[in-house]
Amino acid sequence: MSSLQQLAKFRAPSQLRMGGQLGRCPSCSFSPPGAVRASDLGRSTTEKAISPKLTCSAAAEKSGSFAFTRVVDTEGAARGPGTGPVRAQQMATGDASDPRIAGIAKSIRVIPDFPKPGILFQDITTLLLHTKAFRDTIDLFVERYQGKGISVVAGVEARGFIFGPPIALAIGAKFVPMRKPNKLPGPVIAEEYSLEYGTDKMEMHEGAVEAGEKVLVIDDLIATGGTLGAAIRLLGRVGAHVVECACVIELPELKGRDRLGDTPLFVLVSSA
Amino acid sequence: MAGIMFQDITTLLLDPQAFKDTVDMFVERYKDKNISVVAGIEARGFIFGPPIALATGAKFVPLRKPKKLPGEVISEEYILEYGRDCLQMHVGAVKAGERALVVDDLIATGGTLCAAMNLLERVGAHVVECACVIELPDLKGRERLNGKPLYVLVESH
Repeated sequence: MSSLQQLAKFRAPSQLRMGGQLGRCPSCSFSPPGAVRASDLGRSTTEKAISPKLTCSAAAEKSGSFAFTRVVDTEGAARGPGTGPVRAQQMATGDASDPRIAGIAKSIRVIPDFPKPGILFQDITTLLLHTKAFRDTIDLFVERYQGKGISVVAGVEARGFIFGPPIALAIGAKFVPMRKPNKLPGPVIAEEYSLEYGTDKMEMHEGAVEAGEKVLVIDDLIATGGTLGAAIRLLGRVGAHVVECACVIELPELKGRDRLGDTPLFVLVSSA
Repeated sequence: MAGIMFQDITTLLLDPQAFKDTVDMFVERYKDKNISVVAGIEARGFIFGPPIALATGAKFVPLRKPKKLPGEVISEEYILEYGRDCLQMHVGAVKAGERALVVDDLIATGGTLCAAMNLLERVGAHVVECACVIELPDLKGRERLNGKPLYVLVESH
C-alpha cells in the first residue's frame, strides 16, 4: 500500500484540540518600549484620558470598557514620534463585552512608517506569539461561523493563510488559498484589482469552489478593501455565495467596507 | 496520479477530513515534546504551521521573504539553483533555549529548510525537527539538514 493510500485511510482522534497556555504580555520582551506620542496617532471621539504611568495591560483593565486603550510611554514620548514600535491602541468592535477582544487588541503591534513613511502598520505577528490571544482570535471566528453551512474558507495570501486554515478545520470546511499570480499550479481563474498605483491580480484554482457553496473570506486586515473585493468577485464568478468577510483588524478611515458590495464584514478590532 | 495530486497540497486542503488528519498526525507526534515555537515558512508553511501551533500550545513564528516583516529582522541567505534568496525572522520572536519545530508543505532541495534552521539556531533556539507533508527524496533535501531530523508524511518520486 503506498504511503499516500495509508494517509487516505488514516483516521485520527476526532477532536482537533485547541489547547495552550497563557502567553506573556509582549510589552516586556518582544518590542522595545519606544512609543509615539499619543497626539500623533489621532484621536477618537470616544477616547478616554489615560494616566501616562500606566502600561498597556494596566490601561486596558483600568479603562473599564474596551472602548479605547491608549498607551503612553513616558520615555518614548521624550524621544518623539516615529522612534519605534508602539503598543496597539485599538477600539474593540463586535461584542465589546467579550473579554477576549481586549487581549487580542493589545497583542497587536503597531509599527510606524512601514512599508512607507506615514503608514502605521498593524503587525499581527505579535498576536501569534501570544498563545491565548491567537487561540481566542480563532475561537471568536469559529463561534460565529460554525453550524452555518459554510463549506469553504478562502484565505488571502499570505496572512490569510495563518487565520483561515484553523477556522476551516474547526468548522469542517475546505480551505482555498487566494494567491498572487503564478503561484498556484494548474488552471486558475484571475481577478484584477486596483492598487494605489497600478493593479494587481488574485488567482484561485479552477474547480476548487463549486456553484452554490457558501464561503467565508479571511484576511488579517482590511484597509482599502481592494483585495477582499477581488476575492468576492472571483468567488462570485464561479457561482459561490460569500456569506461574510472576516478580518482581525479594520482600518475604518480607509472605508474598505464600502468596497465589498452587499457582502457583510466582521472584524474583531478596529484601528482608528 | 496520486503522487501528482499530493505535490499540490491545495487538493489536500479541499478535503476537510484529509487536512484534519494531516494536522492531527503532526500534533500527535509533537504534543508531548515541549515545543514552544512552530516556525512556518512562507507561504504554504503558514497553512500547516498555525494549526499545529494552536493544538500544541506553541507560538507561531512566520519566516518570510525579504521586506515582508515590519520592524527589526534577522536574515539568512541561501543558494538556489540559479542565484540566491533570503529568509527573515523577527528579532525577539524566539528566545535562546526555546524548542522549535520548522514546518513547510514540502522539502525539495532543502535550501529553504536549512535557512530556516539557521535562523532559529542563530538566536539560540534548539530545532527539534523539521516537518513537511511531502518529501521529494530524489532531490536529497534531507542531506542538507546537517543531521537534523526530518519527518514527512508522504514521499513523492
